[in-house]
Amino acid sequence: MADERRRTERRAAAARARDADGSARLADHAAIDRLAEDLLPALVAKLGASDLGEIEIREGAWKVRLRRTDGATDGPLHGRRSTDRPSRPQPGHAGHGHAPAAVESHRPAALRDGSSTLAAIGPGRPGSEPRRDPNRAVATSPAVGIFQPRPEMRPGTRVRAGDRLGFVDVLGVRQEVVSPVDGRVGATVVESGEAVEYGQELVRLELASAPAPAGDA
Amino acid sequence: MFEKILIANRGEIALRVLRACRLLGISAVVAYSEADRESLPVQLADEAICIGPADAKRSYLLAPAVISAALVTGCDAIHPGYGFLSEDEGFAEVVRAHGLTFIGPSPQVLERFASKEGSRRLLAGYGLPTIPGSNGLLRDDAHALDEAARIGFPVLIKPSAGGGGKGMRMVRTARELETALKICRSEARSAFGDDSLYLEKWLENNRHVEVQVAVDRYGHGVHLGERDCSVQRRHQKILEEAPTPALDAAARTDLCERALRAVVAAGYENVGTLEFLVDGAGDFYFIEINCRIQVEHPVTEMLTGIDLVTTQIRIAAGEPLTFTQADVAMRGHAIEFRINAEDPTADFRPQAGTVERFVVPGGPGIRMDSHLYAGYDVPPFYDSLLGKLIVWAHDRPTAIARARVALDELLIEGLTTNIAIHQAILSNDAFLEGRMTTNVLDRIGSAAFLAAASRP
Repeated sequence: MADERRRTERRAAAARARDADGSARLADHAAIDRLAEDLLPALVAKLGASDLGEIEIREGAWKVRLRRTDGATDGPLHGRRSTDRPSRPQPGHAGHGHAPAAVESHRPAALRDGSSTLAAIGPGRPGSEPRRDPNRAVATSPAVGIFQPRPEMRPGTRVRAGDRLGFVDVLGVRQEVVSPVDGRVGATVVESGEAVEYGQELVRLELASAPAPAGDA
Repeated sequence: MFEKILIANRGEIALRVLRACRLLGISAVVAYSEADRESLPVQLADEAICIGPADAKRSYLLAPAVISAALVTGCDAIHPGYGFLSEDEGFAEVVRAHGLTFIGPSPQVLERFASKEGSRRLLAGYGLPTIPGSNGLLRDDAHALDEAARIGFPVLIKPSAGGGGKGMRMVRTARELETALKICRSEARSAFGDDSLYLEKWLENNRHVEVQVAVDRYGHGVHLGERDCSVQRRHQKILEEAPTPALDAAARTDLCERALRAVVAAGYENVGTLEFLVDGAGDFYFIEINCRIQVEHPVTEMLTGIDLVTTQIRIAAGEPLTFTQADVAMRGHAIEFRINAEDPTADFRPQAGTVERFVVPGGPGIRMDSHLYAGYDVPPFYDSLLGKLIVWAHDRPTAIARARVALDELLIEGLTTNIAIHQAILSNDAFLEGRMTTNVLDRIGSAAFLAAASRP
């Protein structure tokens, strides 16, 4: 009984931590499940058969973008290959048997391509920097846990190498996410309260020598 | 039953646990290090989550990373596999404190059996014979010297935590003892994070025979027969078979029943293995208990038809055993060959590299548990196990004949493996006559062993 209660409490706490903005995201679970099970496989098939480089779809507050990745079709199981980001932990959105495996594998492909123009700086990520852009860097997660950015770190904020951009909560212990370079904060890839894995890209940075980010920043 | 399990391991055992989860309708999340990003269990998992860099101390051995991964992915249990955190009672306790279930014995039971030295004393109290050894853990070199002199050389230095031959040394004279202790302490510390050691009298020409048990939370237990793991090199098992050729049916039943009675009486829970040393006279001595699923568990699965991993998960979920001793029937003979990435002609040096071709043997009674695929890069950071070939037949000679065919068929191109040593074992008279003891391979030396086998 006690175990059961503790488990329930733990789940609730985890859910609270995951969903910093609470019920809005929970309400979207149905939408994302529909996306995962119905729309995404169809979308993947469509992308595969087309000449398109990218497809984006919106469902409720959720948006999924698929982008073609060059050279991602080697390996014995390319249909369900999960490479750079095998699963962004999104509890409640996966775990429906085998169908999500296919979903998981395509989501990372899009993410991987999106990140490939960035120099991956952070805890050792050997062999994952195909096109290094000397003007950009990215702060990666030091651990598995829940990401909390510092609110003052908005796009455009000037930072020095070593400045704290936020932290990852690992069982109640904060592990700092620091800027690897002098520069400006670019886009935050992961939202506050989201679960992140080790090495996951969290915050993009424009190097000090680069021109200030325009438009999207 | 659990809804979602985090698999905190890698390689073939991660895949084995994943298959068990599928069978039980449980979602599985594979926790992996950066070096295992392209591994088969990660590709096949329902979800996968990166917990740290290649260095196991910062990933597979890092308890907070593993537990955090289970929490953020919404798992309700953690399967530790073997090695890594599988027998760490501190880890099991923290897992429980976070409202998760550790798939294995409960933390209290693990604690009771955590120390090998303590388990020996506990189970000796329930009627299992043990090898003469040091009185408790070694306090320092002087204490070790006193104890070794009392027991009589040669002695075997053993680590209180862990297994797999690490931190273990046989010492013949007092003069060698100090250096050997230093090496064992350092090996044990880096492998298990615990450098406490104890001594056992070294008995020559022994067989290693172990008994598989499964005990539910309600004190109902069965034994699933024994396995003979006498083919070893430097205390590392490389081939396991059942039934043991060392004992007749009556002696095997006696051993298994006494082992089961003792662990049930001592309050053991879940699947476990009691290791015994069997001497030339057929007398057996209890050495240690392994509170986890073992590498060689498929040997027992082939003989009994019982799935040990699903049994382990069910027991951890609080289910009672659905079968009794009378339901356990052991049929035929099974042999497991550990296929390692190591070079038997160069002192079994571990190999890393890319698997260029991988052809798995088949036919009646053949099972291959492996995480390899063509194109897979075997990382250099972990143990060298590439997979396990398990062969079953109605009797031992037929199992050996099938194994010869299967080993010839097994093709792993791109890196050096120990397949040749298995082929050599299958033409060794001591093995064929069922007289293998744990020291044979080391005494002969692998080069001589291979050469003898290739002689017409």
